[in-house]
Amino acid sequence: MGRSTTTAMTPSRRAFLAGAAAAVGLGASGCGTAGSGAGGAELRFYMQKTEVIDYFDDLLRRFEAQTPGTTAVLDSTVSIAPQFVRGDPGDVGCFNNNLELARYLRRGVLSDLSDLPSAGRIRTDISDLTDQYATYPGRTSVLPYSLTAAGVIYNQQIFDERGLPVPTTWTEFTDVCTALQRDGVTPIYATDRDAWTLWQGLFDYSVGSLVDTGEFFARMKEAGEDVGLGAGVSFEEGLAEPMERARVVSSFFNPDHAVRNYADGNLAFGTGQAAMYLQGPWALGQIALVDPDLPVGTFPLPLTEDPADTQVRVNIDLGLWVPTETPQPEAARQLVEFLMQPEVINAYNLDNLAYPTTTDGPAQEDPRLAGLQQYVDDAAFYQGAGTFVPASIPLGNYVQAAMSSGDFTAMLRQLDADWRRLAVRGGLV
Amino acid sequence: MTSQLPLAAAPGVADAQRTPLAASDQRRRAGSRRVDLAYYVFLVPALAAFTLFVVAPAVVGIFYSFTDYAGFGTWSFLGLSNYQALLADPEVRGSYAFTLGFAVVTVVLAQVVALALAIALTSRIRFATGLRTIFVLPLVLSGIVVAYVFSYLFSNTLPAAAAAVGFAPLEQSILGNPDLAWLSIVVVSAWQTIPGAMLVYTAGLSAVPADVYEASSIDGASTWRQFRSITLPLIAGFVLINTVLGVKGYLGAYDVIVGLTNGGPGTETRSVAMTIFSGFTGGDFAYQMGNATVFFVVTVLISVVQLLLTRGRAIRL
Repeated sequence: MGRSTTTAMTPSRRAFLAGAAAAVGLGASGCGTAGSGAGGAELRFYMQKTEVIDYFDDLLRRFEAQTPGTTAVLDSTVSIAPQFVRGDPGDVGCFNNNLELARYLRRGVLSDLSDLPSAGRIRTDISDLTDQYATYPGRTSVLPYSLTAAGVIYNQQIFDERGLPVPTTWTEFTDVCTALQRDGVTPIYATDRDAWTLWQGLFDYSVGSLVDTGEFFARMKEAGEDVGLGAGVSFEEGLAEPMERARVVSSFFNPDHAVRNYADGNLAFGTGQAAMYLQGPWALGQIALVDPDLPVGTFPLPLTEDPADTQVRVNIDLGLWVPTETPQPEAARQLVEFLMQPEVINAYNLDNLAYPTTTDGPAQEDPRLAGLQQYVDDAAFYQGAGTFVPASIPLGNYVQAAMSSGDFTAMLRQLDADWRRLAVRGGLV
Repeated sequence: MTSQLPLAAAPGVADAQRTPLAASDQRRRAGSRRVDLAYYVFLVPALAAFTLFVVAPAVVGIFYSFTDYAGFGTWSFLGLSNYQALLADPEVRGSYAFTLGFAVVTVVLAQVVALALAIALTSRIRFATGLRTIFVLPLVLSGIVVAYVFSYLFSNTLPAAAAAVGFAPLEQSILGNPDLAWLSIVVVSAWQTIPGAMLVYTAGLSAVPADVYEASSIDGASTWRQFRSITLPLIAGFVLINTVLGVKGYLGAYDVIVGLTNGGPGTETRSVAMTIFSGFTGGDFAYQMGNATVFFVVTVLISVVQLLLTRGRAIRL
């Protein structure tokens, strides 16, 4: 998710315009063929996760072979907003299930998929996650397709050489960090220059096992412009303890964390310069590019003294949806059913360090993720707190500022103030 | 002949008719105030494109700034409440303060350096042509590429160099320093825009006739006096153009900042353009449209003030 989110957030205006222009071109050509087409449907499949564009393109060719007369094109435009703005959002979408998608979902522009056979196979503890961002009455608007889990990535060699255990409690975790520090090893590598790495890692991990994020943000939304110290729900109160944890965790960062970026982090961790790295599975591929043989494992960050409290950060990296505006809903739903077939959905997730969202899905076999499997199976998971904060609040920048000033309380107060302002102008999803 | 001119949009046709047009031009200068229709016809494609792609979207955008439009779906009128919220938003105010301050500092730095370079390169130094080519190179590089290269220099090369000579303040990258990060953006933006300004100054300087310098040196004027009393007044028009265009460009700063600091550390270097663009993915469409409208007015006001302040200062020979 990290990578797809950042690509969506950082393109230059020019790149964005080029993308939009390409989309216009695609739309226009789509119209042309639709007008002249004889019977067969032409589907536009919207999927913008860069790493798997080829993968899905192959799947679309298989779909075409199975359903004669239907063609499917892959649209990988970076931003979905222009598609909905033009009223031409494609026929099937496959998108990160986040607050951005929630805006469309809540406004009812995604159709109901609850009557599809595959909808009944989705794990309810996973479909509940989509409801945490937004719901539309009486509809199943998104079918979760791929779940990714993120934890602390650690260098097993560094741990083994020093006989350090994989920590299961907060005290064990700080003890491990202190031992590493005493030994002259950087306990955790952080990359503040890419602010998204701070909120997805440090911020989300520090909140997750202490606060029920879905419930907390439901109350925050309800309180809206009234959030604050007196109102019973606020960032300042609700996240005070997590941010105290974050402060302690950040004291184990590499000294030059303020000036390092994501690429620096992958390189440093890949070359064994740090023992731990607060990143999701998307970083594993990058680390493997540096050193394919590095023994790497993962565990969720423990924040309490009871190992049973520990949960893993997950997100629905891909969810399938069909816009209400599609002129060919039947063909679109056919494509959804094709993608939801056990062999297709399982193969995709196992190949891409993710977890199938269906009740009959197999376990992820990659040894690097073995430490997270039990948590995913037990639904001991949460969606990161940062994913509930609308993009108009620059959370990553705020965490960055808190890192350099050390004042996390000021950051929480700022978040409360921003939240109130956003609520006043109706900016909360 | 005029009846064929609607075809003038095609460049070949325009070329073919250059001679008759020149003839009509002479006729006009000879006394008649009638302007050949062809001039208007030439304007039509540009005007149409400008209206369709710039004016119309801008008007639509301004319209939506008075609503709660999310970019799609239904909307309702809000009146001025987006603008009220903007004025109360410390994040927005901070981005204006940063952008204006950055534009002023950068334009001064860039103009001084560009003028100095132009004077040096129009003097009779060796290798002037070769040097000019080298100095113009930044002009052809994309902003985001430049920013990423400088980002590497600032985070790795500069600290290493500072450590080697024992200069403590620069041993940590300034990109992570909340008080100094803006300097990196000033330096890179200036570096990128100096060549363009330098070319304009070079053109201006070569238009100053040599005999006025000759006359003044006979009168015993020092080089500084010549620069202050002859060069500067005679190229004042060029200074004005460079300053207005420079400020306008710096106010819209986006790609360089994204590549260097992405608005950080914290929100210290978040420009107005970045804030506006965040509304697009952040669902704050109408609100940031209001911000864009305010920014448009501010930019126009600044340009008008600049023009008024400098009007009549230029001297023509």
